[in-house]
Amino acid sequence: MARQSKRSTARRGRTFVETVVEVEGRTEKRVVELPAFEPAAWKADTALEIVGARVPRMDAHEKVTGRARYTADIALPGMLHALILRSPVAKGNVRSFDATAARAVPGVLDVLATGDAPPDTRLFTGKISYAGQPVGVICAETFEAAAAGARAMAMTFDAAPFAATFEAAVAPDAPLVRSQGNLMADSPMIEGRGDIEAGLRAADVTITREYRTPVQLHSAIEPHGAVAEWNADRVTIWESTQGIFRVREQVAAALGISQSNVRVIKHYMGGGFGAKNGAGAHTYIAALFARRTGRPVRCVLSRRAEQSDSGNRPATIQRVTLGAKKNGTLTAIVLSADIPLGVSGWEGGPAQIYHELYACPNVRTEETFAWVNSSGMQAFRAPGYAEGAFGLESAMNALARELGMDPLALRRRNFTRIDLRRSQKYSGNALRECYDEGARKFGWASREERRQASANPAAPASVVPSSSVASVRRGFGMAAQLWPTGGGPPSYAQVRINNDASIDVLAGTQDLGTGARTVLAQIAAEALGAKLSDVRSIIGDTETLPYAGNSWGSMTTPSVGPAARMAAEDARRLLLEAAAPMFDVQPGDLETKDSRIVVRDTDRSMTFAEVTKSLGDVMIVGRGSRGPNPDDVTIATFGAQFAEVEVDVETGIVRVLRIVAAHDAGRIINPTLAESQLEGGIIQGLGYALFEERILDRATGVQLNADLHDYRIPTMADIPAIDAFFVGTADTVANHTGARGLAEPPIIPTAPAIAAAVADAIGAEMTQIPLTPWRVLGALENQRG
Amino acid sequence: MRLTVNGRDHEIAPAPGERLLTLLNDRLHLPGTKFGCGHGECGACTVLLNNRLAYSCIVLAEACDSATVTTIEGLASAGKLAPLQRAFIAHDAAQCGYCTPGQLVAATHLLARNAAPDEAEIREAMSGNLCRCGTYPKIVTAIAAASRGDFKNMSSETDE
Repeated sequence: MARQSKRSTARRGRTFVETVVEVEGRTEKRVVELPAFEPAAWKADTALEIVGARVPRMDAHEKVTGRARYTADIALPGMLHALILRSPVAKGNVRSFDATAARAVPGVLDVLATGDAPPDTRLFTGKISYAGQPVGVICAETFEAAAAGARAMAMTFDAAPFAATFEAAVAPDAPLVRSQGNLMADSPMIEGRGDIEAGLRAADVTITREYRTPVQLHSAIEPHGAVAEWNADRVTIWESTQGIFRVREQVAAALGISQSNVRVIKHYMGGGFGAKNGAGAHTYIAALFARRTGRPVRCVLSRRAEQSDSGNRPATIQRVTLGAKKNGTLTAIVLSADIPLGVSGWEGGPAQIYHELYACPNVRTEETFAWVNSSGMQAFRAPGYAEGAFGLESAMNALARELGMDPLALRRRNFTRIDLRRSQKYSGNALRECYDEGARKFGWASREERRQASANPAAPASVVPSSSVASVRRGFGMAAQLWPTGGGPPSYAQVRINNDASIDVLAGTQDLGTGARTVLAQIAAEALGAKLSDVRSIIGDTETLPYAGNSWGSMTTPSVGPAARMAAEDARRLLLEAAAPMFDVQPGDLETKDSRIVVRDTDRSMTFAEVTKSLGDVMIVGRGSRGPNPDDVTIATFGAQFAEVEVDVETGIVRVLRIVAAHDAGRIINPTLAESQLEGGIIQGLGYALFEERILDRATGVQLNADLHDYRIPTMADIPAIDAFFVGTADTVANHTGARGLAEPPIIPTAPAIAAAVADAIGAEMTQIPLTPWRVLGALENQRG
Repeated sequence: MRLTVNGRDHEIAPAPGERLLTLLNDRLHLPGTKFGCGHGECGACTVLLNNRLAYSCIVLAEACDSATVTTIEGLASAGKLAPLQRAFIAHDAAQCGYCTPGQLVAATHLLARNAAPDEAEIREAMSGNLCRCGTYPKIVTAIAAASRGDFKNMSSETDE
């Protein structure tokens, strides 16, 4: 997420201003460049033809023919393969290594181990702080030879006592995970408003619960990887990344070379979800070996490494107290959370949504972040908010039961029009419309009839149970969501009109599979008055493209989109200035549509190509940039999801039958692609609810399910009927395209909605995900006493 | 060793331990078949091997003597997209696209055995191909549309 403050008239006439930017919970001051001009916002009723259209994904053809090139399948002449060796112990030291036998394996060219990497890469120091940490690497002619070399490598380790859980890390005699201590600086982080004690005293009903969420693994199907090739003192890196410029900066710093000597390319990537936000061990290794050997080097993580050392959503323990009046009005929200981060990470904890989602005057959260001896966390789709929503929304559902109140009515009762955390308005907020439309499409009000009908074998096909087993129970649940999605500067774009009137949108951003290529082309075509088929987005190359930030925080459309629009408006202005003399009119007399320039109110026209052809080799280049966000406004995306499940009370197996999802993300540039994002988030949320949980061996700290067989992500057989859609309208306050971010929000409410439906089905609360059969049976057992 | 890939014959000497996936990607320059796990868990490397589904990451190349292999690059014929490929484009059945080659090969195999699968049959047959983007609902829709020969949502712009 990104939020800036203070755009004021005092800035006019200045090129650079300082602004506060927030990215996924972290706030920093940044100097940003003000655009030369800002186009007027596209209003809700502005007639747009290409923006808002369900056009096919523009790179789909490459994807369905196998021609899209991903980092993992870049193959260069003479390319070598690097395979990383990893620690079998969770803490300790490399005692010894002997690479003689490994170097003797046919095809093995080079070995790096303790002490062989530049200090700034922090690789191969000999000190170990988690199982699976890189301790060496083999470089060979083929992947198979590298694997044989790895087997021949002789390494021994000294294992030291470790702390892989929160409880172990905060114990009085705990082994030190990091030299400065086992708690993150500033832990516990405390934030609040109002008077909690007064809020609890004013409550008619108080509930207290403890919720637990698991470590979730990103599990992108394309593992992390890089291919590096040197040419004299310059290195080119193909990297599967969400941030090409960030990788460039990190590689330059680690290798001690200039950024201008590092080129990072990413044309296609096989999923990121937050885990691919920078350079990693594989990147440095590919670059180092390529420099040592003078040949290109590919280093792609094994699946085991991808599942055990490429980032994760950290686990949480959330102790929640809610106080409310009899009518449901919240009087107090209290959270105390423990978060074991791994050996590295940042403060992306569960607290934020507790401050933001409801109109409660008294809120207090306390988060304690601990370093533990396991692989470091990385942002994972809606970091903190997905975890926090499981706690907050599960507690809201428990409160509704306690009050004997409809969970949806409880949420409507506590709807807030303004952002109470920051005491300011939202740029737009259609959460109530999400409640209304979601409930209507789900049939929330008639769920009891549906439950009755589902028990009747003669029920209509639409409600008939998937199983006729008598032990199957039907349940219904819902949860809400909020996620800050403003985007912001800096982001630049250019729109280039070639002399055949083909049009290139140039931006140094990335398409993770989200549809950025398509969205930017749609925005530019709309602004330029061009046919979409004439427009192509060129992205993913630091050497040739203007800067854009990481594709994280649902930021790409609201950040790069306005820059692309401005660049297209600028190119249009230049094109019309060039065309005006050809018609003997003023530029203001001209209009553009379908790649044609028309003299207003006449039948005189020329195609773009006729104009550019007569210009010869003059190249029209429009420039655009993203301006700061508006003053004193919070920009966020909202939503509500409704779940229907079946639970077999004999086996504990949960089957999700239906999810209805209503979200408000401002203007939707391409509804088909946006709905794909909703479905994807919901399906990852379903995995989080039902299956996904990293398991570490208590005795060794080694991960026991570092694959896709024992770490289970949803398959096609697990998918319910999903009806995911958008309500709301263009957000003209947020930015001049009217679009907010939308990719992360849908994962947020899915797990608590499913857990609520399971609780509804079995009459027992579920306080820990994933909702595995043994946890469901355990909840039933506890309930029976 | 002789090997027919997408209708073309190859004489090739497999390296010891070489996997069919590596041979296709790095030696026959067919990068469309993807590496996802190396253990036959994800389906990204799915190919047709003698008209049966195979995970090419766990097939030894030297076991493929005289075999016929179809990869994602072999689904279009004479530059014309197969109905399934057109349906995947029309119904947005590829997000990041990395699992898409395996999905399309598995779907091709399904429709060859069962020209008109119902939704449950599609889900069952396709459940060996993982998609982390969660494109599953769109993939089901695309396969059902292709099986019906329903191209009404398909833009002619996307044809080759």
